[in-house]
Amino acid sequence: MRRKIIRVGSSRGVLLPREVTRAMSWDFGSEIELNMNKEKKELTLSTIKVKIPDEYNTDMMNEIVEILNENADVLGGIDD
Amino acid sequence: MTNDQVQQVKILGFANWLLARKFGTEIGIRDTSAMENVVSLPGGGSLTCFLGEKLSNRRDLYTQLGWFVYYMISGEPFNSKNRSTTLLMLSWCLKYYQMDYDIEALRDFIRNMDPMKQGNSDISLWFSSNCH
Repeated sequence: MRRKIIRVGSSRGVLLPREVTRAMSWDFGSEIELNMNKEKKELTLSTIKVKIPDEYNTDMMNEIVEILNENADVLGGIDD
Repeated sequence: MTNDQVQQVKILGFANWLLARKFGTEIGIRDTSAMENVVSLPGGGSLTCFLGEKLSNRRDLYTQLGWFVYYMISGEPFNSKNRSTTLLMLSWCLKYYQMDYDIEALRDFIRNMDPMKQGNSDISLWFSSNCH
């Protein structure tokens, strides 16, 4: 997929197509991760992987994370 | 609050934190009294369905879920994602009890639920009719 770099004030930006933001469950204000590989001249955008704090690392909490990831589109369907 | 209730507040807080982080909304508890109501049952009882100890019969489970949903939606204990947190925890609970349910129907029920018109018994009835 090709995109042009556009001017956003004094900065440079890239617009994300709607089908991409929908597929990734990204909305206004969502935080995402940028990983740059200078040697390969590559930039990757990815969803932030949520890590469970060590003191909460129980089976149940891992199951809750799994359910959230499996049903992100359904859970994102409630605008609250 | 009892230790069991504190444990359940931590679990609910974790689920809410996950959702708020994922969807970019405000993190944190808005109202501690409303939070206490969510993990309490009438008559001095405590919510136990999220502690990993299976309730002996479905009727008790539906009753607990009825109170849980009612207080989560009417009290809005968190700054954001109260209904989504309710749906996420219900999904965990129904899966834990190996019950068949339609998550989209459950989402629609939670999204449209009006605590001014529907009480805990209406919610319990919905679970008994739609989750088997």
